Amino acid sequence: MKPLSEQSKRRVNWLNDGLWPWLCAACVALSLLMLAALLTLLATRGLGHFWPATLEEVTLTSGDIVIGQPVRETPLPLNAGMERLYFTGNRDINGANWRWIAVDDISAQTTPNDLIRLERTPWGDFIGRLVAVESDGQRLTGQAAWDYITTALAQPASQQGSSDLLLITADGHALRQPLSNVSHFQAPNAMSWGQKVTAWGQNVWRFLSEGPRAANTGGGVWPAIFGTVLMVILMSVIVTPFGVLAAIYLNEIAHQNRLTHLVRIGVRNLAGVPSIVYGVFGLGVFVYGIGGSIDNWFFSDELPSPTFGTGGLLWASLTLALLTLPVVIVATEEGLARIPDAQREGAVALGATRLEMLTRVVLPMATPAMLTGVILAVARAAGEVAPLMLVGVAKLAPQMPLDGEFPYLHLERKFMHLGYHLFDTAFHGEDVQAAIPLVYATALLLVLIVLVLNLTAIFLRHYLRRQRGNEC
Amino acid sequence: MTSPRLPRVYLPLRQLQDRIATGLITAGGIGVLLAILAIGVFLAWETLPLLALGDTFALSKLSPLAWGTLKAAIAAMLFATPIALGAAIYSALFMSARLRSRLKPALELMEAVPGVVVGFIAGLVLAPWVERHLASTLLLIVWLPFSAILAGALWHLAAARLRRRLPHSWAGLWLIPWLVCMVAVALWLAPWLEHHLLGGDLRRLLDQQYGMDYATRNALIVGIAMGFAVIPSIYALAEDALADIPPTLMEGAQALGASRWQALWKVALPTAGPGIFSAVMIGAGRAVGETMIVLMASGNTALFSASPFEGLRSLSAAIAIELPEASPGGLTYHLLILAALSLFLFTFLVNTLAEVVRQRLRRRYHRLGGRP
Amino acid sequence: MLAPLTSAQSSQTPVITFAPEQCCLSINQFHLAYAGKPALRDLTLDVPRHRVTAFIGPSGCGKSTLLRAINRLHDLNESVSHRGYIALEGQDIHAPQMNVTELRRRVGMVFQTPNPFPMSIYENVAFGLRLQRRLPKRKRDDIIEWALTSAALWDEVKDRLHRSAWQLSGGQQQRLVIARTLAVQPDVLLLDEPASALDPISTLKIEELIRNLKSQLTLVLVTHNMQQAARVSDYTAFLQNGELVEFGLTDQVFTNPRLQRTENYITGRMT
Repeated sequence: MKPLSEQSKRRVNWLNDGLWPWLCAACVALSLLMLAALLTLLATRGLGHFWPATLEEVTLTSGDIVIGQPVRETPLPLNAGMERLYFTGNRDINGANWRWIAVDDISAQTTPNDLIRLERTPWGDFIGRLVAVESDGQRLTGQAAWDYITTALAQPASQQGSSDLLLITADGHALRQPLSNVSHFQAPNAMSWGQKVTAWGQNVWRFLSEGPRAANTGGGVWPAIFGTVLMVILMSVIVTPFGVLAAIYLNEIAHQNRLTHLVRIGVRNLAGVPSIVYGVFGLGVFVYGIGGSIDNWFFSDELPSPTFGTGGLLWASLTLALLTLPVVIVATEEGLARIPDAQREGAVALGATRLEMLTRVVLPMATPAMLTGVILAVARAAGEVAPLMLVGVAKLAPQMPLDGEFPYLHLERKFMHLGYHLFDTAFHGEDVQAAIPLVYATALLLVLIVLVLNLTAIFLRHYLRRQRGNEC
Repeated sequence: MTSPRLPRVYLPLRQLQDRIATGLITAGGIGVLLAILAIGVFLAWETLPLLALGDTFALSKLSPLAWGTLKAAIAAMLFATPIALGAAIYSALFMSARLRSRLKPALELMEAVPGVVVGFIAGLVLAPWVERHLASTLLLIVWLPFSAILAGALWHLAAARLRRRLPHSWAGLWLIPWLVCMVAVALWLAPWLEHHLLGGDLRRLLDQQYGMDYATRNALIVGIAMGFAVIPSIYALAEDALADIPPTLMEGAQALGASRWQALWKVALPTAGPGIFSAVMIGAGRAVGETMIVLMASGNTALFSASPFEGLRSLSAAIAIELPEASPGGLTYHLLILAALSLFLFTFLVNTLAEVVRQRLRRRYHRLGGRP
Repeated sequence: MLAPLTSAQSSQTPVITFAPEQCCLSINQFHLAYAGKPALRDLTLDVPRHRVTAFIGPSGCGKSTLLRAINRLHDLNESVSHRGYIALEGQDIHAPQMNVTELRRRVGMVFQTPNPFPMSIYENVAFGLRLQRRLPKRKRDDIIEWALTSAALWDEVKDRLHRSAWQLSGGQQQRLVIARTLAVQPDVLLLDEPASALDPISTLKIEELIRNLKSQLTLVLVTHNMQQAARVSDYTAFLQNGELVEFGLTDQVFTNPRLQRTENYITGRMT
């Protein structure tokens, strides 16, 4: 009798104890997997875009010759083999940047070293071959032409003089391209490994330091980075003192009764209110309410075109400050509550006033907690897009909000934001296909900024706990 | 030793400073708190004109949006709740302490990934992929739990040495490569299954047999993407509730002969139940209010449809798109503010409820002799 | 030994009074309640100057509450109400012209667990000084050295004055807190079970310090440990349920208590 019951019991235990924990473990694994997959996707696509891609010269069975950069392959319907997407550029000649080619139609495929890729201001990229350079009546070919272009592009645009590039496309279409419109010149197939790494670094730098070109399909995101950072700095300048003030008031000065308890719950819950609601508040109160009044009082000569009565840097910063206030208040309050009363009593018993107790003992001890709160607030603000769509973000801001013109900081101007730039490029761009690599890069940049900020906050909190642990 | 002479104290200035500072802090603090609370007042005030209009027809414009919000939230919760709770149970009760101290920050980072990035991946990468591989996606949903169980069964059969090398308390980590392999297997199998069992193309089958339309950006995509965003917040709160259960309680149950799973089912879950409930509530609050993910992954078509393969439009997305164009004072403007007010009230109520439940729970743990 | 001026004794409230010039703290009919619940009931007691007075009694008898009331630490808590009168050197500490900050400087307080601030040893002692008027550095250094010497800590820390105070041992921390209090030169030093969290050797050092300090200032010691009260104090007050049961010379209270209740407590027949 015994062995049987033992056995059946073990089986039941296996079902109970063996099965479910594995499902639960798989949940953890799946969450981590999704996070890792997301980050890997962003990292590879975002960084890979800047690598000087090999250009292929493809001869089709029909006799056509196509030069382009292979992007991806997908299966054709009805099991008819694969289809490959090439980026061919030359929108001015072909009318499109892209070409789908069935893999079965390819008869020959080579990567000649003389293929070049140009970045031009109108019409986007050119892909083809260089025939010659005409400079002031002089005609240069071969190595001399290459050297000329390299030195000319290294100089500022004003000193380049007037010279034209004679180009030829894959199908023999000749083209005369003024050098002044060319921003970048590359022969990726001829590049060595080291040159490619250098070119990659330069491309990353150009992405970070230049403005967008060609309807966001080229260039960089510098204005968006600048706008994001400026807005976040303004926001922290607003949110830090007020958040800390409110936390000190709640924790150190207010009478601790039912009302404070309720207020505390209220503040905590506001952290969970959707960000778009803050955006609505910002639009209704800051933009239409306060901004409208300012316009009526001070800028009435400019009406009906609004100055402050429309979205702008100031209103966006204020809205995000309001949005992140609960984060700062909650974090600071937690830091304050962690400080043992003995420290406060010790200071007071030595004859310190409350202000002295706060500034000399309590606040220094709560600084890491405050810093954590502010960093979390900044991280949240940097990634937040929805409220900005209502209070002042712009697709393409013609003027930077900070410039050399008095009063230097233009609080009423619209600004660009990395998150919104990403959204706009990915969903409202003209040529989404061409913009996608840049969108990946932008997304990667945004995620990196937010993750680094969060890691700093996590590290700070860890440090704070360890320090506290030693003391107690 | 005689004491050195101390100069006399200069008090009035210090006290004046103290008074002024206290006054300033009080004024500032109350001001900030009032400003925060003004949000509710403003939203309520701006919806009042709607009452004056008494136009019930206008309200019906909001109902497909409300439905869309609900549908998106339900889809997200269906995806997120099991995963988040499973992860919370595993990390609170089974996981090694070292892995746990690393996992929590990792999932915090997951929460920090901006919605706009998640939305971009969902709308432009995941949605087209799922459209092309619908059968594989559906297969994966069934296949992944099965492969976890398979891993468990293999582990129980494996040699003791291997089991020591791959302990269950670290399974959260070493299951990742296993899952990757299983995903690959599923992707390899899916076209074959689709071909033989479903007659070639699942989407055509759905269309012809059941009359279901398929939109590229649909509730399924929104559910996965927003689920991804909501998992960390549910996980964090549920994990706290489970990990704070007084250890004596679980040990007591196990001392009485209950298996670990029985102890979890009969003791831990009922005790931590309110905490888990509040975690799910807060997750739902987040799902209802999330804007960018829905905006980018849902197709923004205001439909009354329960199909997971059709698009939707949520209140928050409608506000983000339409409010900048709505003229202040107009009907649309007030309607959209009403939408914002309902989002505000809903999340505020849900969060308050969750917070009250959590505080009760903390008191209960305190009584049971857990950590204060 | 300072002889009590009068020793009027009724069966319930024994009162010893001292001549005004000998009396440092005078507590008269003091009553204090937490949120309506009385913690001290009509206490009347004189604390003699430059002596150690110990408050003993069971937990919750109000001895720590009384100590905190003398420093007016209850001001930080709104639910506390009080009436009656505590005088420091003849001045009512609750009088409107009495400045609470100045009062707290004059009445130093040391708590049960050492609470050094998260700063260097030097900054901890300088904390109280910096609150007052600016001192030249040399003068400040002198006072700090003097305070640390008085607290019998100078020799142990003189080489590491600028290290964190949290690196000191518990006993050293407690002496540092005493030094910090001495640096602002109080008239009275209140010690709330200063040795209860310390090991026996640190306890002995603190007790020796208390005995040495009474030449400089008046000390009031709250303790659970009756041997400690017997060892270091000159006068002992026994409190129970917020009332003063017996107050007298320590020798007399411990060897020949006037009341049965006191004897029961001291001999351990009642807690």
